[in-house]
Amino acid sequence: MVTIVMESTGERHEFRKLNTVIQLLNKLKLKSSEVLVIRGRELLTPDREIGTQGEIRIRHVVSRG
Amino acid sequence: MKCRRCGELAQVALPSHHTGFCAPCFENYFLRQVERGIHEHKQFTKEDKLVLAVSGGKDSLGLLLALTELGYAVTALHIDLAIPVSSENARSTVEAFCAKHSIPCHILEMAGKGLPIPEVKKKVNRPICSVCGKIKRHWFNRYAFEEGFDVLATGHNLDDEVARLFANTLRWDQAYLAGQGPVMPAEGRFVKKVKPLCRLTEYETAVWCFLKGIDHVLAACPYSGGASFTGHKKLLADLEERSPGMKMQFYGHFLATGKPAFEAVVENAPPLKECSDCGFPSSQDMCGVCRIKRLLES
Repeated sequence: MVTIVMESTGERHEFRKLNTVIQLLNKLKLKSSEVLVIRGRELLTPDREIGTQGEIRIRHVVSRG
Repeated sequence: MKCRRCGELAQVALPSHHTGFCAPCFENYFLRQVERGIHEHKQFTKEDKLVLAVSGGKDSLGLLLALTELGYAVTALHIDLAIPVSSENARSTVEAFCAKHSIPCHILEMAGKGLPIPEVKKKVNRPICSVCGKIKRHWFNRYAFEEGFDVLATGHNLDDEVARLFANTLRWDQAYLAGQGPVMPAEGRFVKKVKPLCRLTEYETAVWCFLKGIDHVLAACPYSGGASFTGHKKLLADLEERSPGMKMQFYGHFLATGKPAFEAVVENAPPLKECSDCGFPSSQDMCGVCRIKRLLES
């Protein structure tokens, strides 16, 4: 299972399998320029494969005041 | 995706530059873009006495570290707005960052100046973001002027500049369009103001902060709900996704072509007066910040 954690709200999503980061962003209706996609201590570009396990954090980058 | 410079696995994709970078090459790219913004617009030199307005967010703290790494001697200036929880977090984040990197830091407390933002919010019938912005701009400039700094820098990035340009264009606000840009020259009691992040998007500043391990404030200001700039940024992000590089083009062409035209139009605007209370420039007898202070005292 892949766990997605939204840093701004603490909300969690679980997926059995995710092919790529762009697929994840499409599922979450996010643009690649709006968020950092973080796995461990590295950032993932939209073409990176995700697979079937692990935790990914999503950090919004747009200032909200 | 591979890094364009070294061929290692990329961590950052930049569609507007048709490129991607690994972490070390991105850091190199980021610093070069900051340096290029500074030189291209003649913002300041290493001889200038420089103060940077620091909120505790990613842009200002990221810029503070970048300028330090580039060899500029910077003093950080933070305004404590007295907003419960939010201001305490922001202040402690700034103080911890400056202590860690041995950067001189000065705090201006708005409560001590008779302008705590929660009280201002209760008394003023205008959007609090614009009033708060006015108060911060006044005090950043006033501190820089009174302490003899040559240049006041802010962490405004390309997205901020483009959103502001878009808002000013929607209103065809000639005075604001004439005055917008990465450099505002010194004039009277106005210190020279610069925006060294004018070539970098907030995605890029967020990446820089992540890669450099900068601990910055993530929570939004509790009073910022519904701010119009957030909506403008969403619209512009849609355009940028369809046409990568559009933001830089819009801003770059404005600086080259639009701004000079608006400057010519507003050349004969009436000169500013001196505020009867604080002595800083004002379009009226008393400046907006002193009027707010009077309102709170009444």
